Amino acid sequence: MHIPDAFIPINQAIIYWIIALIFIALSLRWARKELREEKVPLVAILAAGIFAIQAVNIPIPWGTSGHMMGAALAAIVLGSPFAAIFVLTLVLIVQGVIFGDGGLTVMGANIINMGVIGGFVGYYSYRGLMGILKNPYPAAFVAAWLSLFIAALITAVEMAIAGTFPLELGLISMGLYHAVIGIVEGGITAAALYLIFTARPDILPGKTGVSA
Amino acid sequence: MDNKTFIYTGVIIALVIAVAAPYIASSNPDGLESAFFGIYGAKEIQGDEMNEEMAGNAEEEVVEATGNDYSFESPFPDYSIEGLLKTGESLAIVIGTLLVLAIAFGLGKVLARTE
Repeated sequence: MHIPDAFIPINQAIIYWIIALIFIALSLRWARKELREEKVPLVAILAAGIFAIQAVNIPIPWGTSGHMMGAALAAIVLGSPFAAIFVLTLVLIVQGVIFGDGGLTVMGANIINMGVIGGFVGYYSYRGLMGILKNPYPAAFVAAWLSLFIAALITAVEMAIAGTFPLELGLISMGLYHAVIGIVEGGITAAALYLIFTARPDILPGKTGVSA
Repeated sequence: MDNKTFIYTGVIIALVIAVAAPYIASSNPDGLESAFFGIYGAKEIQGDEMNEEMAGNAEEEVVEATGNDYSFESPFPDYSIEGLLKTGESLAIVIGTLLVLAIAFGLGKVLARTE
């Protein structure tokens, strides 16, 4: 879902950068106020793991592939959507600057889509679903699926504003592909959560996720 | 699992994924690229076949449409290291993974609340 430079006019890209910078500032404030020192290695491992897993493009039908985004996982494990913004921003900067994956002028848009939308949708749908399902793994699966799907639809809207995609066809094709890629997102998120939680039951603040 | 084991296990899992990634990853266009090529006529939205010539045209067309012709030479474009093929890709992704690990750890340490 990494938007390349050519897909968004510069003036719109700047607006996305300004919005992204506000959320980056809020994520830094989260790190200063909420991040405890003993959680720093966990943040670093999640960021590194998300960078690595984003390099694994899994084939889906229609000559297409997709990879995990990881925002829902970061938000759920670290207990805040701002944690996802913190982690995804670092991942996206390294991907863009070092590997040319995702444009630089449009990096603000990519941070909004994958970090902000991914983090907020992932975190709050997980919290909501935990109240209904009372089990972290199906809740995480659905929340992660939603985080990727909604981020893809928002991307399609940005493409329509940019004049790059017509709105309807953009929503249909982005929705179709990412509904399938979302299964990968959901599956890996639930599995990673299970592994982390099994290895370190103390890490997840409030096992239920609703009391926190 | 104690803290040290947990951290090392996490780092090792990330590195194993990084090394394996180029060998297991699909080279098909991702969701956004596939939507782009579908909309610009280089492939069917639900088709497998890519028309390479149309794909090239689509990339020129979109630069004209948005006027954003910014381009930038990254050190390892598309996670590759010149002349090293798949091994180079593994190496590039390992470098990236370690870089993200170091930056996240360093920034986290600087910002984190100390009790």
